[in-house]
Amino acid sequence: MSVYPGFRDDLLATVPSLRAFAVSLSKNADRADDLVQEALVKAWDKQASYQPGTNLKAWLFTILRNEFYSQMRKRKREVEDSDGAITGRLSVHPAQEGSVDLKDFRRALEQLPEDQREAIILIGASGFSYEEAAEICDCAVGTIKSRVSRARTRLQEILKITGENDFGPDAISAQITNSVFTA
Amino acid sequence: MNYGKPNTHRGPDKRGKDSDPLGANSEIGRKLRQYYDDLITEDIPDRFSDLLNQLEQKSSAKTAGNKD
Repeated sequence: MSVYPGFRDDLLATVPSLRAFAVSLSKNADRADDLVQEALVKAWDKQASYQPGTNLKAWLFTILRNEFYSQMRKRKREVEDSDGAITGRLSVHPAQEGSVDLKDFRRALEQLPEDQREAIILIGASGFSYEEAAEICDCAVGTIKSRVSRARTRLQEILKITGENDFGPDAISAQITNSVFTA
Repeated sequence: MNYGKPNTHRGPDKRGKDSDPLGANSEIGRKLRQYYDDLITEDIPDRFSDLLNQLEQKSSAKTAGNKD
């Protein structure tokens, strides 16, 4: 029995965003899918702890994130060396490369420490509020804010973006071109 | 495939603040959403809906089994 009718469908509906978050965290598409699978199984097992009507997506993101960090700790114990550096180098997915622009952005994102990367993804892309992100990451709202701000500064440095408000014609046309290609 | 309820997670529309450091005027913000939307629009492998079917079947079997 599900905690409420349609629980299964609601879980399935969050899979695209769960996967996107998992890829952002793990920097690896295959590992991301394993993480999503684990998160779904865990979510199913502990569905009694979910309160219908509250934010299901945030609940699932929390489960997935916990799974990611517990796997990371386990791996660190297994491989007591520069596992992070190796993962970083293996993380390119040639089949998924978009425009050069986006590829550069992904590389830059992958250089961020996990805590900053997850914060900027949750706030800037997944559509969570600072309060929700703080709950997902089990930290204070101010911590999320400062992580987002550090992440943003670091990305600007890596991508050598100056003058953040240059919303010129080039930027707009780039966006239109991109949406045409991804449509 | 129809995944039931439509998703409303595309972009941070609910935070339309001007001061948003990752908003429409931020290049980082736009790139971030481009990167994420690219991931979100990927096709979802069948393994996830298969998995949920299995989980559902398993729990309804368990419920039925508990009756004797």
